Amino acid sequence: MTDFEALKTAIIKGKRNDVTAIVSAAIEQKEDVNKLLDLGMIPAMREIGDKFSRNEAYVPELLIAARAMQSGLALIEPLITASGRKAKGKIAIGTVKGDLHDIGKNLVAIMIKGAGYDVIDVGVNSDIAKYEAAVAQGAQVVACSSLLTTTMPYMKEVVDHFKPKGIKVIIGGAPVTQAYCDEIGADGYSDDANGAVKLLDKLFA
Amino acid sequence: MTGRERFLNQMNGGAFDRSFNMEFGYWDENFTEWKIFAENGIKNNAEADAFFAFDKIASVGSEVWMHPCFDSEVVEHHQDYDVIINSDGVICEVQNTGHASIPHFLKSVITTPDDWKKVKEERFRLDDPARIPDIEALKTRHPAGRDYPLGIWCGSMIGKIRDMLTFEGLAYAAYDYPEMVEDMVETCCQLVEQSLDMLLPHFQFDYASGWEDICFRSGPLVTVEFFRDVVMPRYKRIRRKLDQYGIKLWYIDCDGDVRPILPYFIEGGVNCLFPYEVNSCAHPGEILDAYDGQMKIMGGVDKIRLAAGREEIRKYLDSLVPYVERGGYIPFCDHRCPPNVPEDDYLFYLDLKKRMFGLKD
Repeated sequence: MTDFEALKTAIIKGKRNDVTAIVSAAIEQKEDVNKLLDLGMIPAMREIGDKFSRNEAYVPELLIAARAMQSGLALIEPLITASGRKAKGKIAIGTVKGDLHDIGKNLVAIMIKGAGYDVIDVGVNSDIAKYEAAVAQGAQVVACSSLLTTTMPYMKEVVDHFKPKGIKVIIGGAPVTQAYCDEIGADGYSDDANGAVKLLDKLFA
Repeated sequence: MTGRERFLNQMNGGAFDRSFNMEFGYWDENFTEWKIFAENGIKNNAEADAFFAFDKIASVGSEVWMHPCFDSEVVEHHQDYDVIINSDGVICEVQNTGHASIPHFLKSVITTPDDWKKVKEERFRLDDPARIPDIEALKTRHPAGRDYPLGIWCGSMIGKIRDMLTFEGLAYAAYDYPEMVEDMVETCCQLVEQSLDMLLPHFQFDYASGWEDICFRSGPLVTVEFFRDVVMPRYKRIRRKLDQYGIKLWYIDCDGDVRPILPYFIEGGVNCLFPYEVNSCAHPGEILDAYDGQMKIMGGVDKIRLAAGREEIRKYLDSLVPYVERGGYIPFCDHRCPPNVPEDDYLFYLDLKKRMFGLKD
């Protein structure tokens, strides 16, 4: 019998050896992989994300938890594929052209992956062609990050490119605001990584 | 009143005739894109400071970080970026298109205690002769009767370690090898203490300065507990030395939302933020009100507002008036001014700042 609460706690505290041990034992016992995800891993990331939003946890705690989750996820990925479980959606994420910052982008990628979305990380300094390539691989939403006031105008070019094609574009980053999102006609904005998950849940509802 | 007297009084609770007038500088692009710089042959921040006749402020220090540094070299060349090993030993991507952006850090050469042991022995030696400052040359450059404020450099206790390990690398190392990271912080502290011992007896410094950049928009890049238990006690050691020589003001350059670790800056003896990035934290008044007298600010003029037109600039400067009048606050752009600020609006801002804060009738 898998102790899902122990799995959750191990992820939140970043104890990847404990996560590996619990997940390995669960695989041995032929535990339902959906239960591992839905009762252990995804709620753990949701809880650390909520703590992050409430300023009870910060970036290092998120990273450590995500690394622990990843160590468990790596063990069950073949089983997830075999089970036919579908991701909640597929997201292309990148830092826009001219901008090499990736801390915020990586955090959002971690959180949305932890929430059950497939993520295509197109990296930093991403022009429209890079996002387009991800859309060709099935991405339904394009997520753009920018840390610089000088690079965020490129987000409008991304919005103008994808909007007529029915691909949604969401934006974030230090200088970005809801007002800027409204101004360029993007489909959503979040001021933190956990909010990005909630935004996507709304878009896919 | 000299600039030195004005600075000391404004930041330490005395009377001042007008606000100390300074700016942090500009992006490289401003020097080519702004007509006022291009037409007047202004090519760097020092020349811009002289051109605008800002009040002089200076700082001295000795080598308190890795020495010798790694040889910086390009390992891959691409159309719009290069992959390099930087002087901290981090493999990173940097744009080669001339646009300003911090590097995209990929990997550090230090991931284990064995890596650190080797780098520490080779590059962090306390007895490295290159760490000894040339006191006489510094005295010639900054004579005792100077009329401008002179600061002493107190380095970084954790920010440079973040640079050396990368952001993710520090998060993982602090969890996987806490003793190694604490030894890194201790090494930084010993290097700064040694530097202070060599410099403090020879000058009458007006302030101390440091750099961390250890916060992100979402808060600190190390856990609050790590900052409290590992970093803050080292600040206390440095503060004790500054106190022995009557240095009251100690600013730290730390962008991002510093609020979660602010109590520990204060407990450690840091009492000023510079250049205090507003957009990632809060209006400077929030900090100055919450920590009245305990925390001061240099900077805090929101660069986003500077790009939002004259009415926004005026409204923002209006909101700063009570804090400038109270003392303990010198207003200037909250980082290097970016090129998306229209130069005419920037000149309007400089002029308005002078009118509002006593430089012009």
